[in-house]
Amino acid sequence: MMGESIDPEKAARAAEAMTDCLNCDDDEAQQRLERIYEYLDGALSYDDIREVRSHLEGCPECASNYDLECVIRDTVRRCCTEEAPETLKVTILQRISTIRIDSGH
Amino acid sequence: MTVATLEKPDGALGPVDSDVMSESKADAAHARTVEIDSEPPENAELDVGAESDRARRVRFERDAMQYVDQLYSAAMRMTRNPQDAEDLVQEAYTKAYSAFHQYKPGTNLKAWLYRILTNTYINIYRKKQRQPHQANTDTVEDWQMAQAAEHTSSGLRSAEAEALDHLPDSDVKEALQKIPEEFRLAVYFSDVEGFAYKEIAQIMDIPIGTVMSRLHRGRKLLRSLLADYARERGFSRKEGK
Repeated sequence: MMGESIDPEKAARAAEAMTDCLNCDDDEAQQRLERIYEYLDGALSYDDIREVRSHLEGCPECASNYDLECVIRDTVRRCCTEEAPETLKVTILQRISTIRIDSGH
Repeated sequence: MTVATLEKPDGALGPVDSDVMSESKADAAHARTVEIDSEPPENAELDVGAESDRARRVRFERDAMQYVDQLYSAAMRMTRNPQDAEDLVQEAYTKAYSAFHQYKPGTNLKAWLYRILTNTYINIYRKKQRQPHQANTDTVEDWQMAQAAEHTSSGLRSAEAEALDHLPDSDVKEALQKIPEEFRLAVYFSDVEGFAYKEIAQIMDIPIGTVMSRLHRGRKLLRSLLADYARERGFSRKEGK
């Protein structure tokens, strides 16, 4: 099983580090994290993108939050990609072939 | 080019953006920029009102059927089991086909299908489940947030990615499943499907500001839950020695 190759102490430290930015009372830290989200979401203006990029270069904490967020998203994407059963496609095609549409023309 | 506004019957979307990328890397940060005036595809001039049933079915099979796997994956995150997911996707496709003459060629078909899927889920399955959901959202989230806040801080961030990479898929799915539904779907639409805020707003029928707050809260919750799983994996192995 894949999970068994993790060093337990390392995993524990990693888990703590992952939530560093969440337990911080510091609103600013929360905002910086949200800024990273928005940056990755492609939701920022050109000027904001430049600002975030230059901040990431000079701030190791935000840079690792950024890296971590990338890994989280990749992981979620990897785990949530499923293939529909072949029979589903067949059933859908069968069902729609019985539908007649009155589009009002 | 002008973009016509669509009538909004059951599940139909107004014009939405052209397909968006789903990469999470820095250079892809621009990729989801909203572009309303995208190039019209070849069938943009199609008169859907004059189309025969047969032609419509051919067009539906060609354009819409390619998203079955993606809608099924999303349906799995909604219903949590394969049989319900299949039923949901089937129902959504049937509705989509029945309303296909209302879909405006050249607008975002994938987002249009997702909206129908989401509506179908909310109207049929969620009512059927009768689970406490909306009302408990804040409570659940506060509780989870409070738990997240108990974790102490330490360094060594390079190990996090490794720990995450080693988490089995089942842990990641479970973590996602524990997030309140409206946050979970927003995160799913964004991270897995790469939809822009504006598209998620249309799919879920909520304001963009709400999309952003759901995403922010959902992502923080997911991060803390994944951390829990990473910790459990580590500790359980240690105890087993």
